Amino acid sequence: MKGSTVNLNLHNVSVEDEREVILKDITFDFKPGKIYVLIGRTGSGKTSLMRTIAGLIEPTDGEIYLGEERLDEVPIWQRGIAMVYQQFINYPQRTVLNNVEFPLLRSGISKADAKVQALAMLEKVGLTEFKDRKPSQLSGGQQQRVAIARALVRNTRVILLDEPLMNLDYKLREQLREEFRILFKTTSNSVTIYATTEPSESLFLGDELLVMRQGRIIQHGKPNYVFENPSTIDVAQIVNDPPMSILDGEIKGGRVNIDGSINFEVPNHLKSQPDGKYKIGMRASEVILGGNMSNSEEGSVSLAEVSGSETLLYVKLRIGEVVLQLEGIHDYHIGQRVVISIAPERIFLFNMDSTLCAAPGN
Amino acid sequence: MTSKFYKRLFLLPGLLLLIAIIIFPLLFTIRVSMANWNVSQSGLDWAGGANWARMFHDANFWSSLFRLLYFSFITTTLQYILGFAAAMYAWKGFASRRFFRVLWLVPLMTTPSVMAIVWRSIFREDIGAANGFLRLFGVDPIAWSTQIFPAGVTITIAEVWQWTPFMFLILLAGLLSLPKEQFLSADIDGATPWRTFWSITFPLMAPISIGAIIIRLIEASKIFDSIFNLTSAGPGNATETPAYYLYTRGLREFQISYGATMGLMYLILAILTLTILGQILARVSKPRGL
Amino acid sequence: MSRIFKYSFIFIWSAFVLTPLSWALVTSFKPPAAVNNGATFIPWLQFQPTLDGWKDITGISGYANLFPPLINSATVTFFATLVSLTFGCMAAYGLSRFSYGWKHYKNPDIIFFFISQRIMPPAVLAVPFFILLKTLHLLDTKLGLVLVLTSGLMPIVVWLLVDFFNQLPKEIDEMAMLEGCNPFEAFVRTILPLSKPGLTVAGMFSIIFGWNDLFFALVLTFTNVQTLPVAVVALNGTVTPFWTLCASAIFSILPLIGLAFVVERFLSKGGFAGAVR
Repeated sequence: MKGSTVNLNLHNVSVEDEREVILKDITFDFKPGKIYVLIGRTGSGKTSLMRTIAGLIEPTDGEIYLGEERLDEVPIWQRGIAMVYQQFINYPQRTVLNNVEFPLLRSGISKADAKVQALAMLEKVGLTEFKDRKPSQLSGGQQQRVAIARALVRNTRVILLDEPLMNLDYKLREQLREEFRILFKTTSNSVTIYATTEPSESLFLGDELLVMRQGRIIQHGKPNYVFENPSTIDVAQIVNDPPMSILDGEIKGGRVNIDGSINFEVPNHLKSQPDGKYKIGMRASEVILGGNMSNSEEGSVSLAEVSGSETLLYVKLRIGEVVLQLEGIHDYHIGQRVVISIAPERIFLFNMDSTLCAAPGN
Repeated sequence: MTSKFYKRLFLLPGLLLLIAIIIFPLLFTIRVSMANWNVSQSGLDWAGGANWARMFHDANFWSSLFRLLYFSFITTTLQYILGFAAAMYAWKGFASRRFFRVLWLVPLMTTPSVMAIVWRSIFREDIGAANGFLRLFGVDPIAWSTQIFPAGVTITIAEVWQWTPFMFLILLAGLLSLPKEQFLSADIDGATPWRTFWSITFPLMAPISIGAIIIRLIEASKIFDSIFNLTSAGPGNATETPAYYLYTRGLREFQISYGATMGLMYLILAILTLTILGQILARVSKPRGL
Repeated sequence: MSRIFKYSFIFIWSAFVLTPLSWALVTSFKPPAAVNNGATFIPWLQFQPTLDGWKDITGISGYANLFPPLINSATVTFFATLVSLTFGCMAAYGLSRFSYGWKHYKNPDIIFFFISQRIMPPAVLAVPFFILLKTLHLLDTKLGLVLVLTSGLMPIVVWLLVDFFNQLPKEIDEMAMLEGCNPFEAFVRTILPLSKPGLTVAGMFSIIFGWNDLFFALVLTFTNVQTLPVAVVALNGTVTPFWTLCASAIFSILPLIGLAFVVERFLSKGGFAGAVR
């Protein structure tokens, strides 16, 4: 059983009650040795999907297979699935070492072997010197490392990580993210599923990206591909942080008009599109500050926030709001007049029903 | 799935044990309330609703209920206020509070029926401590047991002494588990202690308070031990509560059927009152935003 | 102003708490003259203390011996608390973690059912319990009294522990299950060790209410299993002098006063927090 490589298969899995749909018709084939990143807003069903796989939620419909085994008929405690939560969940009354030994002992490994394996795992996550402490005597990042050590030490066929970095500060998040990539690659036999709300994490860690919204998987594929080719406006909003700005526009006579005030020549990647009304999307990092051409427009700052080493600038135009991501920390006051320009070769074009029409590519 | 088995494994043993102990007495009580079981004839004959009809015309029963309403309201309120005050002081603010926490808990540990005997010796008119103490200040002896108001006072004192520590303990434990952040911000805002109490402490304590008050009301309603040993419901029946009245009719005069009828009526009324009261309290005490 | 109020409250309340206890303690050492000729308060000054009252209740003078009732009370309370705590904490855990339902009765209704067991006045239940125990040949036995007391103690345990378990993160037992524990093992191995504060509080209330029960013990036991409150009340019913009564009162409440220290220790360590939410 251990070390064997089997697929995790979901067939039309649904979870719903009278009041709401939590998961709807999830069908997916997860392959061992890969990291699958679930991305979606809070409440999109990421956690529910993981809890359903783990057995903590019973599906109302559909089947889950692990290899040939019908997983949804196996009780939780026999499924052999590891899970890491957002909150730092460890057994408070046990030492760090005992925490990591616990799952090994439960799976029938001898005391001596369990200790050896647990110590090796603690070495990997860099907690050897803290092995005799209680979890409450550790920092948040260290507590989460204990939880991850506990999840990885058993070498389970499925590992679920539910926004494990969510409650950590920015610096620690970046550091742990690096470590994760190395840690997960060494457990190459497992199906690893990682939930997050952060596009950067998904690009960094994922072999495969699953975009979730309202209990459904709305797009999946290689992270870079999904990022460059979001199939709908919804996907574009979810895989971009800050979300993509969307403005109404049209193509007419070889020019792109955005609500009549901005207009420019149709860029190369949109040349083949017929005339008509469209929705135009642009990434925050690809909107330009300044300029005085026909692709520019003046607006007023409605919000400026500093996030890490970047500044996000929300600019209200006559025709809608545009978000800009600026390198460095800048000081703007609300209501300040600024000019922004759109980079024609970087715009996304969506049909009026919000499906993708053309993307700028890489 | 197997988890169904475990789900039942947790609840059912306790629930079934409780039902097993209680089901016979309950069914028996319902049946016997429709019989004529008394001192001259025992057994389950059929009397229909005779006992129920009698109860509805029994002024003593209803007046004992009103007395209880009045009495449990007063004692519970006193216990809540005093318990809350004591809990606030023992919570923080003075050096030797650990000593006082122990001292103020002690009455809870004592046996009500035994303490009632002690209280009786204190309120003896001739040789008791209360009148002896009052005499030091030149106050004439009070007839504690033969006048209605003093008799009520003695029971109230005994009940407040016995059960205020219950409120004190529950409320103190609640206070100790309150989040500290909100108090910090109130300190920074420079709010007066009085304002901090009403706008932060009291609303945060509302859920615990409701639980404590409900449980205390349930227990207060059964008040028996102190009345039995202290006043024997006297003078006359001035301190008679339903529990005592039931005991007199049911066990002393052995009107088993009639006692059972009143017991059931009492149970129905108590559950109704507590349900309604719980809802009212929950609504009134909803935190109004800080 | 508020300081004056505070310290007068502390002083007056403490004095009030101490009054009956110190009165009983002082009286238990009084000779007859110090009782019968009016209230006296201060030993050595107003009277010469004697041990007569204490000799009367400890079997030395042959009047009464409260030690057998003490052992009865301890045994009955211990087992009733043990049973209530065992079944009560399992039921409370179940009610905290799973949702039960039968028709439109849900968890809160089941919890209320438990609590409602405490509403019925003992006087009503006395006769049916008497008949029940008589049928089962359990009248005047410890087992019979333990069963009857359990029906009153388990509701308290359930009431206190449901809230306590609600405060422990569900993720801990979920984690234990994912790591190979069945729900019962998860409860025993991860939740119970975290529940010492809650179990202590519930056990304490259970002991207090069990130890102090008078009514059921009075009706359902006679000579074999006389408990302490019954023995003291029986003394009260005869022509026992006040000094002996007061000695018996102190004797019967002394064993539980140690509990106040245990409880305080938990409070001050903070282990109590969340135990009564």
